[in-house]
Amino acid sequence: MQSAPEKSDLNAAGFRAAILDPVREKPATVEGPRGKQAVKRFNVYRNNVTVSLINALADIFPAVMRITGETLFRDMAREFVRAHPPVSPLLFLYGHDFPAFIEHFEHARRMPYLADVARVERAWLTAYHAADLEPLDPQALAKIAPEDLEGAMFKPHPATGLIRSPYAAFDIFDANRNRETIGRIDVTRPQDVLVTRPGMDVTVTGLPQGHGAFFASLIAGDCLGDAAEAGARASSAFDINEAIGGMFATGAFLSVTTEQT
Amino acid sequence: MTPTSLNHGASAARPPAAGTFRFAAHTARIPALAGVGFKHTHLDAILADPDPVGFVEVHAENYMGDGGFPHRALERVRQDFPLSLHGVCMSIGGPQPLSEDHLARFKALVDRYEPALVSEHLAWSTHDEVFMNDLLPLPYTEETLNHVCSHIDRMQDVIGRQMLLENPSTYVVFENSTLNETDFIREIVRRTGCGLLLDVNNVFVSATNHGFSPMSYLMDYPMEHVGEIHLAGHAVQEDDEGEPLLIDSHDAPVADSVWDLYSIVIRQSGPIPTLVEWDSDLPDWPILRAEAAAADRILDEAAHSFLMGKSHAVGA
Amino acid sequence: MTKATKTAFSGAVLAGAVAAAISGAQLVTATDAAAANVKCYGVAMAGQNDCAAGPGTTCQGTSTVDYQGNAWKYVEEGSCASMELPGERMGSLEPLERDMPS
Repeated sequence: MQSAPEKSDLNAAGFRAAILDPVREKPATVEGPRGKQAVKRFNVYRNNVTVSLINALADIFPAVMRITGETLFRDMAREFVRAHPPVSPLLFLYGHDFPAFIEHFEHARRMPYLADVARVERAWLTAYHAADLEPLDPQALAKIAPEDLEGAMFKPHPATGLIRSPYAAFDIFDANRNRETIGRIDVTRPQDVLVTRPGMDVTVTGLPQGHGAFFASLIAGDCLGDAAEAGARASSAFDINEAIGGMFATGAFLSVTTEQT
Repeated sequence: MTPTSLNHGASAARPPAAGTFRFAAHTARIPALAGVGFKHTHLDAILADPDPVGFVEVHAENYMGDGGFPHRALERVRQDFPLSLHGVCMSIGGPQPLSEDHLARFKALVDRYEPALVSEHLAWSTHDEVFMNDLLPLPYTEETLNHVCSHIDRMQDVIGRQMLLENPSTYVVFENSTLNETDFIREIVRRTGCGLLLDVNNVFVSATNHGFSPMSYLMDYPMEHVGEIHLAGHAVQEDDEGEPLLIDSHDAPVADSVWDLYSIVIRQSGPIPTLVEWDSDLPDWPILRAEAAAADRILDEAAHSFLMGKSHAVGA
Repeated sequence: MTKATKTAFSGAVLAGAVAAAISGAQLVTATDAAAANVKCYGVAMAGQNDCAAGPGTTCQGTSTVDYQGNAWKYVEEGSCASMELPGERMGSLEPLERDMPS
């Protein structure tokens, strides 16, 4: 955050530093009109920047805020905003670092699942703004000769995100975004969550056992045979028919290639 | 609407090079009616309203994603309404060069949606890579004037057309300012050929905050270059001395005093496309529509008196 | 290394799975396929783009003052009490409220 002092009449670096640090003095050239004080006046800018960015995080992570309550969320977001201000003017790109920040945030330690819920919410917004591309047509796979299917590889759709959680990230996300009343949730049940956007609507899917390993392998660029192996290794309940059905149903992939093509 | 067609008043303030724009006015003319800031929650109501608003305005940055629902919604309203594309984050007022990435994204929107009006702010928000999501103020000096003009030149070059520059609402002043805001803005127009977006609420907010007369500001303001007007609500707080400090909050109806100023402006200049901004604590559609209707009544009166006796209104 | 070793997932098995998926997928459109076709998948948040659309850039200030404060006081106001961790006060873990088919 420390920049060399600049020569310009607008000391933007000094202004920025004072905006993001409420303990700092206001910039020396900033004043009130006709000899008036400018403490409260400069604080308007501090407030606008801080509050608008906290509000942006609240808009991206509504389930996280419902879990923590607004007081803790805003305290946590305020610290995050100061440590990680946006580096793009596109606010819908903000907050990719927020889940990792939550993971190490002292006051959220009793909610160890919180970071993964935040990852699902961040993936939701990425999918919401992703390019309008048709997902892979199942017929493209039907055209591949059976002996080439094992080696088939898939390009993920730009909307696709996978969160593999040791906690019940799907149930917690679903309950806190979609349900008025939340029953008791066993958070210790591991869940893998797939975020896709097959049309205009973002779809968040809680994956059956073994499918997280299967999708992770495909997204990493492994071939279909290896991905199926990974799924079967991860769970004895893994069903390849269901898994390939899931690839099409979720629209997680854009295109397929084989070693021959 | 070409800025020269608005040249009905303040002729004494007309700068030497006025009227010689580097960019022809855009062919997709916008009527001198009231419009509203477009929010997705109002999409269906806007489309279904039997008394449609004159145009809609969007913040450009909200449509800089690759795809998805935002573009679908904007495509839909654009089918039925003229569009004003209002940039919020270009950081024209800062010392560093504009982001070429951001300019390219902005141009892509101009090309895709063919807005009738394009505007940005006399303010800054990005320094180095850090984006502060507020319209921050700048001192008015020869140096900052050079920066602002070169940035507007660059933006107009990239988008290939004229942009309108909006006057800011401010809460502080700079001890090193050497120009007043209206002189600063007039010189920008002279050097760059840009047009102006006059935010009447911003004039009132700054005038109250800094203790000057909003009327004297408007007298000094190069009204003949205004291609759009903004109206919005503000909030009242207190400064260090306990006197009113107005916040440009866009979360309330337009204040009576701002309506009064707006009427004076429109009576003087003739009808100008006017946008009602409402960005926080969004009301239901009928309330926002009523604000736009109130602006339309003032625009209608002005159009009427223009037709009845244009020469009396000019006062030249 | 992307080349598969010979496994239970032979070309014939995979081709059969593809054929089964296609015959199932033909019955539904792409958008509602996730809900209708894959019965074991839990799906949330399809078709709710009006809410939680994320932040937008704005050009206004805020009248809410909230730029200070690091006074840490824990306020029990969130839904986190519903999220059970082992060893927490409720002891045994109750079944899920959510109807998750297996």
